[in-house]
Amino acid sequence: MSIIREHTQHTLTDVWRTINIDALQEDSSVNFDTSALRPPVPEISEADVRALTSRVRQLLRGGDAEGALRACLESPVYENGGSNTEAAKEAALQTVVEVLQSIKASDMTPVLRGIYASEGGSEALDVLMKYLYKGMAAASTVPPGGSAPRTPTRVTPQPTGFSQMGPRPGASSESTGAAMSVLLSWHEKVVEVAGLGCIGRVMTDWRRV
Amino acid sequence: MAAPEVHHLFHAPVADHSFSADRTTLAVARDTSVELYARVGNAFKLKDELKGHDKTVTSIDIAPTSGRIVSCSQDRNAIVWEPTPNGYKPTLVLLRINRAATFVRWSPSETKFAVGSGDRLIAVCYFEEENDWWVSKHLKKPIRSTITTVAWHPNSVLLAAGSTDAHARVLSSFIKGVDARPDPTAWGERLPFNTVCGEYMNRSAGWIHSVAFSPSGDALAFAAHDSSITVVYPSAPEQPPRAVVTITTQQLPFMSLLWNGESEIIAAGHDCEAFRFRGGEAGWELLGSLEAKGRSSAADQREESALNMFRQMDLKGKVKDDTQLKTVHQNTVTMIRPYEEAGGVVSKFSSSGVDGRVVIWTV
Repeated sequence: MSIIREHTQHTLTDVWRTINIDALQEDSSVNFDTSALRPPVPEISEADVRALTSRVRQLLRGGDAEGALRACLESPVYENGGSNTEAAKEAALQTVVEVLQSIKASDMTPVLRGIYASEGGSEALDVLMKYLYKGMAAASTVPPGGSAPRTPTRVTPQPTGFSQMGPRPGASSESTGAAMSVLLSWHEKVVEVAGLGCIGRVMTDWRRV
Repeated sequence: MAAPEVHHLFHAPVADHSFSADRTTLAVARDTSVELYARVGNAFKLKDELKGHDKTVTSIDIAPTSGRIVSCSQDRNAIVWEPTPNGYKPTLVLLRINRAATFVRWSPSETKFAVGSGDRLIAVCYFEEENDWWVSKHLKKPIRSTITTVAWHPNSVLLAAGSTDAHARVLSSFIKGVDARPDPTAWGERLPFNTVCGEYMNRSAGWIHSVAFSPSGDALAFAAHDSSITVVYPSAPEQPPRAVVTITTQQLPFMSLLWNGESEIIAAGHDCEAFRFRGGEAGWELLGSLEAKGRSSAADQREESALNMFRQMDLKGKVKDDTQLKTVHQNTVTMIRPYEEAGGVVSKFSSSGVDGRVVIWTV
């Protein structure tokens, strides 16, 4: 037997590089549940969100915009790996967007200042910021009226000879454009009141809406 | 407030800095070496370079009494530099870790130091006379991720550590034969090695950047990546804490903090300037920046002639040169340390950052 190791097909390839060595180590981070390291989030069902929505609408009709916004920021529906359903989260987002759209541009800053100055206001604005980002993400990825793929996989030449007149991704239609502009102007106002720290917290926070 | 003393050492990040007890020597971690600067008049001049690490040096600390320097690096080693008449004598420490060493601090007793690492453990190192080397014991148990920072309790037994698993922990690093049995504190009474005296997390579970015990050791503050500072007041061993106060700020995250007495915290970070917090168990508040704003430096007041204006517009397409920040530090402040203190009250502190400046501030 030679001292020089014979190279086989296996040793010459870099297959060994693809071995996940962390999985072999007992106390590695891939081998434990990271959710244990995160703060617990409350369970909120879709029915709860519906109840909240009607309460918020009542407040809005009564002209209490600040109260309405506060109410829907106080019980955000966080992702918790199951029991908080996608539908509940979506409904919560719709409620927030509805409130945001109903507040006049001139009232934005006073409303935000009012919330920020109150007890737990900083956290409420963090939640608002999360909904703003989620709203923007939703508005730019979901084309109106359907669940078409996010991006066209490949633009193939059409045999018919017609050019594709589909909407551009991102700015898909008038309504999402309008929704986006509302969210953007709110975003600006929230940063004015709650500072850049607010954006940092949205990115840091494990509790996603 | 006196103007800060600014020392622009070089154009490279300062990972950590430490002053000797007499404040004539300044050690900074620059790339893979530790540079020693000596005070000459009002400036600091490069005096010595300690080479021994072959990867980025992440942290250094000078023991105030013995003058020993400890440095740690991404090459997974820590080195103790012993001052001798003909220069510093390096001694490698057996850390037994296989990820980068991230942070090192001497205990107040100077018989031990703690090295945080990316290996999800803290190596507590002490000198073994019979073998004539530094050995380490590992604090391992509840740590789930990289240790970013450690801080010592005044009794040299309790150790606070911040980690990227979003927890600030208080652990016992009691080593038989090295430490005397500590007096019971609010953190714990019996403290065998690796006793977990407390585990704290803030609401949004951000990375911990800095931890610090108050001068008495009866409160713990930590800064996290969600731009917040949390102060924990323990009640009694094995009991939930008396109060946990979190304040979220409008600023960018803080990278380093220190206590000034029991009711004031100074923190600095990505905003490139230091902020003052005041409060107690009932609550804390951000008082504001420690820098006097509106300070117009000489560079700002360069001749405002028409010629200059048009020249600027021609060269740069704008009139005002806005490439300078209004703060003294021109980039993130990564470390602040007490410079002059008496009885826990800091009268001057020093800061260093990514911009290669070391600044001494009067509080």
